[in-house]
Amino acid sequence: MSKSSLDLLHGTVAVLILKALTWGPMHGYDISRTIRQRSEGALGLEDAALYQALHRLEKKGWIDAEWGLSENNRRAKFYRLSDVGRRQLETEMTSWRAYVEAVSKVLETA
Amino acid sequence: MRSNRRIPGRRLFRFPWRTAAQVAADVDEELQLHLDLAAQELVDAGWLPEAARVEAVRRFGDLEGTRKACSALDRSKETQMKWMQMLEALGQDVRFAGRQLAKSPGFTFVIVLTLALAVGASTSIFSVVHGILLKPLPFGQSDRLLWAMALSNGEESTLSYPNFSDWRDASKTVAQAASFHPGSINLSGDSGDPERLIGMYVNAEFFSVLGIKPLAGRWFAPGEDKPGGPAVAVISEVLWERRYGRDPGLIGRSIRLNGTPFTVIGIVHRKEQFFDVAEVWIPLGFTFENLQERNSVYLGAIGRLAPGATLKEARSEAKAIGERLARQYPEANTGYSMDMEPLQTYLVGEVRTQLLVLLGAVLFVLLIACANVANLLLVRATAREGEVAIRSALGARKGRIVRQLLTESIVLAALGGGAGVALAIWMTKALVALAPAQTPRLDEVAVDGPVLLFALGITLVTGLLFGLAPTLQASRPNLTVALKEGARGSRGRASTRARNTLVVAEIALAVMLLAGAGLLLRSFARLQEVPLGFQVENVLKLHVSLPSSRYDDDAKLRAFVDGLVERLKAVPGVRSAGVTVYGLPLTGGVNVWSFTIAGRPPVPQGQEPVMRAGVATPGFFETLGIRVARGRALDARDREGATPVIVINEAAARRYFPNEEALGKRIILSPDNPDGLEIVGILRNFKQNALAQEIEPQMYLPYAQAPMPSLAVVVRTASDPAAVTAPVAAKVHELDPEIPVYAVRTMEEVLALSSAQPKFYMLLLGAFALIALLLAAVGIYGVIGYTVRQRTQEIGIRMALGASRERVLRMVVRQGLTLAALGAVAGLLGALLATRGMQSLLYEVSATDPAIYLTVAVVLVAVAAVASWLPARRAAGTEPLLALRGQGA
Repeated sequence: MSKSSLDLLHGTVAVLILKALTWGPMHGYDISRTIRQRSEGALGLEDAALYQALHRLEKKGWIDAEWGLSENNRRAKFYRLSDVGRRQLETEMTSWRAYVEAVSKVLETA
Repeated sequence: MRSNRRIPGRRLFRFPWRTAAQVAADVDEELQLHLDLAAQELVDAGWLPEAARVEAVRRFGDLEGTRKACSALDRSKETQMKWMQMLEALGQDVRFAGRQLAKSPGFTFVIVLTLALAVGASTSIFSVVHGILLKPLPFGQSDRLLWAMALSNGEESTLSYPNFSDWRDASKTVAQAASFHPGSINLSGDSGDPERLIGMYVNAEFFSVLGIKPLAGRWFAPGEDKPGGPAVAVISEVLWERRYGRDPGLIGRSIRLNGTPFTVIGIVHRKEQFFDVAEVWIPLGFTFENLQERNSVYLGAIGRLAPGATLKEARSEAKAIGERLARQYPEANTGYSMDMEPLQTYLVGEVRTQLLVLLGAVLFVLLIACANVANLLLVRATAREGEVAIRSALGARKGRIVRQLLTESIVLAALGGGAGVALAIWMTKALVALAPAQTPRLDEVAVDGPVLLFALGITLVTGLLFGLAPTLQASRPNLTVALKEGARGSRGRASTRARNTLVVAEIALAVMLLAGAGLLLRSFARLQEVPLGFQVENVLKLHVSLPSSRYDDDAKLRAFVDGLVERLKAVPGVRSAGVTVYGLPLTGGVNVWSFTIAGRPPVPQGQEPVMRAGVATPGFFETLGIRVARGRALDARDREGATPVIVINEAAARRYFPNEEALGKRIILSPDNPDGLEIVGILRNFKQNALAQEIEPQMYLPYAQAPMPSLAVVVRTASDPAAVTAPVAAKVHELDPEIPVYAVRTMEEVLALSSAQPKFYMLLLGAFALIALLLAAVGIYGVIGYTVRQRTQEIGIRMALGASRERVLRMVVRQGLTLAALGAVAGLLGALLATRGMQSLLYEVSATDPAIYLTVAVVLVAVAAVASWLPARRAAGTEPLLALRGQGA
């Protein structure tokens, strides 16, 4: 896999996480399940990559984390979108849409 | 749901920092929950628990890698947060300190101003000390460069060429040596006006000893310095730029020096000049024809230490070689020896003592400023005891309070230091502009990196110094007492003692400075009272040097001087005019001749007495108003071919004719004229060199009988002498358009310049002493004023009980005077020790002059009396009733 598509993948995971968190604070498993359900499993996102991305985003300050209780009363780390993350998501979505549009234009005219 | 917005400062109350193990445990727990939930989902879908667990792990992917990556990310996030929290805490402290300081702008202003003055003054003096004393010379491995000197009966002197070359050839500790002789050189011929340059006659090794490279061209080649060598010259970058517009084609071209064409072979970088006013260097072979005479000593010498050799070895070797030369050539080298010192020490010379005294003085001012600020802060800390007590009672940790107070001090110090550096940049420029021109290495002085570092250092140290006392005091408040007494301070003896000690120390330092300044002032006054023995008013002097290429015999020199004096007398406004060579007072340049007295038993060769010698036209004595004690001055009779005559000064008559009349005796200067010169007059003594120097024996020969080419011309005018500069120069050019007129000055300017250096140091030290006195006065005022405020109730009670206004006044003033007396005694004792190092700067004043010490003590006590009388008056005006209610004063 070339470097640029790997970057794209990293970026994509980030956008997916940020998007998932717009529905409210979630712990890692919930995020994983949400993305799987919404994409109907088509993305095949690995949990290993997901967790690494979560911690990376937390370090960048795009998402905040806080320990709370899960549905089954266990200690769980909840992630939440920060102001910076929210702004970042908007930028990423705009450029993602532009990208998709451009790619589809090329593909449809071919 | 909670807001996502971050509250500023909220991080301060975040959970305590986690260790690396805790971070890893948290990651484990997070991932375990995920695996458990994933396995549960599989079990719900019908998997067996054991298989579900395995499958969940498999589906997760690289579990171990994720665990490591996440821990690493979290740890670095943790570190980052820690730093941010510290910065935020610091920012908070600084903002808080800023608010506190802004609450009392007057207090803050006084402190910042005090510090700015002290830091500014210290920094600018340090920049001078650094530039002159500490910065290495701009030469390669300059710490290996030495100055070599001859010692003649223990007195330092320059070297003769034969002695120099014998030493150079014999020395093993010195790898390379160079000799040189400064001299003036006329530059003429090309498009510009003729001008007078300061030049150096140097031997071929001169530049390579210094270890410098030419900016362009080359240096002298070995052998080019021999008599009869090629006419080649090296010029300075300054001259290259000024006269030739940095023309690269100048190398290899010919210029006229002293009327002879010389080929320019190299350019010296302006930063690498050994003798910073020199503009042209020519080979030693072009100087005096008596290069081979062992007793004509006019060469300076420098050497570079051989690898592995030390200064100590070089010195003892020089001594041994010098003594050997004395044995070998007894007729020329009587009492001869040699010595060496580091070149930098030699170049800096006596300025070192002056600078160190100034640096010491300015650091005293800094200490006094520190003490003053510490005192102000102590007073304030006492006033703020209530606030601190409340914060402690509310649970603020001691460390936090100490940090807060120290932050305040550092913020103050930073403000003061910042303003001080700005002030220092300005003050350093002023210092360099005002410093006497003869100060060495002045162009090296700048507020540069090391100087800024110094400023930063003293700012931090002062911040800590003056911050420490109040901080320590405030950090251990007696809570119950402080809270009970409310806003009014409650400090007992301990803090009073701290404040008093600071004031006493301040006064002592101020007294020491005042004593030093007083000594310099008195010395300067003594110097101004020195009778000159000649008149400087309405006299203009200028120099003209006749190139030997065209003025190659005595008749031409005589004709020029006669013509010039005649023409000058005709200039409107000129009353008299004269010419001298080596005879103009206060202008430096000494010419010493050995002589014998006719009719006395012969003196062994090399041990003849010596005397300063000059030649002069009759108008010289008239123009300067030098008076005749006995006999006559030189006059028109003393022509070429007439009886050879001479006049001497009283000092010479006293030294060499102690018990007899000198008039009519004959002085023999050269074996060519065994009859000698008849003494026809004794001149009243007059100052020859710097005012502080003794008057030396001196003789003058008539110009007509001993013509020489480097003329100093003096004219006396009816009014402003500077006004005749142009007509006088025009007369010179009427006679010869090619020779430059230079060093034109009124004799009043010459006199002012000769005392510029002592005046400069006196003014600086005086300024520091005044600042110190002012600060000490403010210190006394502050402490007494504060005590009066503290004792308002007590004073009210005393007055209610019948104490008179006078009694209260006396009580308060006595307190101030006690502090002043203690400080004065300590300061005078300190001054006795400290001013010892100043003796060499003083003229006819002892460093322990009791009158100065007494005056300083009186001044100090008077200032202290005023400074404590002001608050005392306020105390005496206390309304007893108001005071009792605690609202008075």
